Amino acid sequence: MALLSACSKSGSKSAALSAAARDTTLVIGMLGDADYLNPVIGASLTSSEISGLIYPGLLQGEFDTKTGLLNYLALEKRLRPSSGPDARSPKAALARTWSMSPDRRSITYILRDDAKWADGKPITSRDFKFTYKLYGNPLIASPRQQFLAELVGADKGQVDFDRAIETPDDTTLVFRFYKPVPEHLALFHTSLTPLPEHIWKNVKPEQFRESSLNQKPVGAGPYRLAEWNKQQSLVLSSSATCNLPKPGNIRRIVWRIVPDYTVRLAQLQTGDVDVVESVKPEDFAAVQKANQDVEIKTVGLRVYDYVGWMNMDGEHYNKTGMVRPHPLFGDKRVRRALTMAIDRQSIIDGYLGKYGVLAKTDISPSLKWAYDDSIKPWPFDQAQASKLLAEAGWVPGPDGILQKDGRRFSFSLYTNAGNARRNYACVIIQQNLKEIGIECKIEIQESNVFFQNLQERKLGAWMAGWAIGLEIDPLDVWGSDLKKSRFNFPGFINPRIDQLSGLAKEKMRTEDARPYWVEYQKILHEEQPITFLYWMHETQGFNRRIEGEKLNISGSFYNIDDWTLKPSASIAP
Amino acid sequence: MFRYILKRLLIAVPLVFGVLTLTFFIIRLAPGDPAAFFIQPGISPNVAEQIRQQYGLNDPLPVQYVKWLANVLQGDFGRSFSRAQQPVVEVILEALPVTMTIAVLTLVANFVFGIVIGVISAVRQNSFLDRFLTVTALFFYSMPEFWFALMMIILFALKLPLFPVSGLNEVGAESYGAFGFVMDRIWHLVLPVTVLSINGAAGIARYVRGSMLEVIRQDYIRTARAKGLSERVVILKHALRNALLPVITLMGSSLPFIFSGALFIEVIFAFPGMGRVTVEAIFARDYPLIIANTFVSGVMIVLGNLLADVLYAVVDPRIKL
Repeated sequence: MALLSACSKSGSKSAALSAAARDTTLVIGMLGDADYLNPVIGASLTSSEISGLIYPGLLQGEFDTKTGLLNYLALEKRLRPSSGPDARSPKAALARTWSMSPDRRSITYILRDDAKWADGKPITSRDFKFTYKLYGNPLIASPRQQFLAELVGADKGQVDFDRAIETPDDTTLVFRFYKPVPEHLALFHTSLTPLPEHIWKNVKPEQFRESSLNQKPVGAGPYRLAEWNKQQSLVLSSSATCNLPKPGNIRRIVWRIVPDYTVRLAQLQTGDVDVVESVKPEDFAAVQKANQDVEIKTVGLRVYDYVGWMNMDGEHYNKTGMVRPHPLFGDKRVRRALTMAIDRQSIIDGYLGKYGVLAKTDISPSLKWAYDDSIKPWPFDQAQASKLLAEAGWVPGPDGILQKDGRRFSFSLYTNAGNARRNYACVIIQQNLKEIGIECKIEIQESNVFFQNLQERKLGAWMAGWAIGLEIDPLDVWGSDLKKSRFNFPGFINPRIDQLSGLAKEKMRTEDARPYWVEYQKILHEEQPITFLYWMHETQGFNRRIEGEKLNISGSFYNIDDWTLKPSASIAP
Repeated sequence: MFRYILKRLLIAVPLVFGVLTLTFFIIRLAPGDPAAFFIQPGISPNVAEQIRQQYGLNDPLPVQYVKWLANVLQGDFGRSFSRAQQPVVEVILEALPVTMTIAVLTLVANFVFGIVIGVISAVRQNSFLDRFLTVTALFFYSMPEFWFALMMIILFALKLPLFPVSGLNEVGAESYGAFGFVMDRIWHLVLPVTVLSINGAAGIARYVRGSMLEVIRQDYIRTARAKGLSERVVILKHALRNALLPVITLMGSSLPFIFSGALFIEVIFAFPGMGRVTVEAIFARDYPLIIANTFVSGVMIVLGNLLADVLYAVVDPRIKL
């Protein structure tokens, strides 16, 4: 007992101490630790977010919420005029300006001459060339190596770095492509983050991932790594010498690893943590009731759930490599009937509330420049669904289950374990389908196993989700070449999709491709290769003491270096 | 006895080794891919292949096994796939102190409270006190740990903010000085250790009560009482020592727990201990880390059993090794 009271005394003392430190420290609760704080090999979202604060960028990216277009900014030049509330100042960019050659086969950057790494050495064009070689090295296996896909030599399998990237002097950087490239793509693919050459040059490629330098990154951004206790916490401190654009406003940012969701939420309530990402809609009311300083913020629509139907006979394809329609879902009338039989709105109302939006295709409503508002979603209409199924030859059998040529309409719907939202949706879907005479069994698999089965196209029907990129590129998911399109799990084949996507890529201005994407959406809507369920607003819990935050579809920490903290004196009870 | 221990240890070597070999093959034959994380839209299809190449997963299974064997015999368990290529030995050495702190505190509390409650229940058999303790112990014993932990958090961290919700230390605890830091750590350990030891002590109390009741009815206890010894001496000196024999088995089997960690508690209280290392390694198909964890727990189970047997011989002169 004596020990206990001694502890709690020290507890209150430490609480008082931390109140003083609190005004200069922001705490973010996160599920798992960062992997590499190294832009070449960092793979998790957390790592990219944190690296983004430590390392400088050639250009600054900006997501325009008004049009849904990505914009690129150099100090003295922008790809397109900025509009909307999330416009950024370009002061963090390393490039002063750029110019595309008339044949669009090269881009030349002029860099600023006052940029320095955190150790005081200047940032030069050579750092970029050095780092691009690392990105392209197969021994390093960078997850960003496809950014080099247009550089000279890439068409022959091996980028010829001496010709592809030239550095005539410290502030001039030239990238050469083997084919004409639209300006926005050139900017996107040449703006990978550099590493300081003088620090990394002696690290052998095969030891790159093991190098201890990964634990003490030297960057040039508004923050630097102060402390990293693996699996516990990661602390960044504002970098006083930073001029890209300036030292971060908040002195210390702490990422605390709290694996359990309930506990992260509890810490948001107690104020131990200021930001928790992905708060579930069902918890909003309780959290805000317990702590009025917590507010829920949302970002654009980037994530959707869907029910996948195998369009082709997966088993037959795996055995023979030939495509033939799936016995149950091969007919587009059947797929459309399934979509119309599922009460998607009631899943949204029951689980997501105002944070869910009915999905029509995989072009997000947030990408306004491409999104086709004129498509009417298939209504929830079970009578119509039954009619469509009858047209396709499915009629009720003796046991009430639909039948065709002696085959019962019965299947297993697979999903991954541990996702309450998907479980909820699955149960409603099962009930809806039962109402029109379709038997659906729900099977839950461990995530890793589930994903492997999907890749091997072993599942007939499943529920999963995608997070979309901010550039539209559907070939990975809908391309007709099933060997190349690894994520075309349903085996949906429509050559027009490949054509449209090729045509869109040839357009030199992103927004000029709109007609192609409108046609693309019509095709997906008509064919219903999968049943698109709903888009979800990602919802983040924020403490109100944070000011100046702008959340954006490209990340919750879009402008974290501009955030400030309200002093606790003004909010103390 | 020395010979006996040596013999057992020698038998343990092929045993642990067999376990590792089995684990090696089972995890590689099980579905799932360590490079699965790199298979997603927007990442070049080459990456997963290059990563597998780096991890040496493209070799035929027997070749992988021989290479692995050669490394392990030199004491090299390799580098973790999922934890940024950190050597697995380092990963485990970082996690062990956390796990051991919790486990040792918990075990001490477990046995002290368990034995005290068990003895009281047995001596006052069928009294109100005994019933009360028995019911309470069963009540806590049947409560799922993770739920109990969450309830404790709600009660003592949210409703009555006496203790921190989670973590090993306050943010910025380094600035409190050595004493402050340790106090802060202890303050953070109160809830998790309480949860674990209430649960464990309840179980041990049931064992102690049972074996104590048996011993109390023995003839030699009656003899001791007949000699005119005080009840205190009879219970604590003559009965308790004999009643504790089965509890010693429990001690031996608790050894693996010290090293393997308490998963739920680690997840809920955000402690980076062995339980989390093991489970996260399994989910990520981090083969080297899974093997190393199997090695640690395998060795501990073998040693724990050996320790229990040796302790038996030490406390019970009837047993000869």
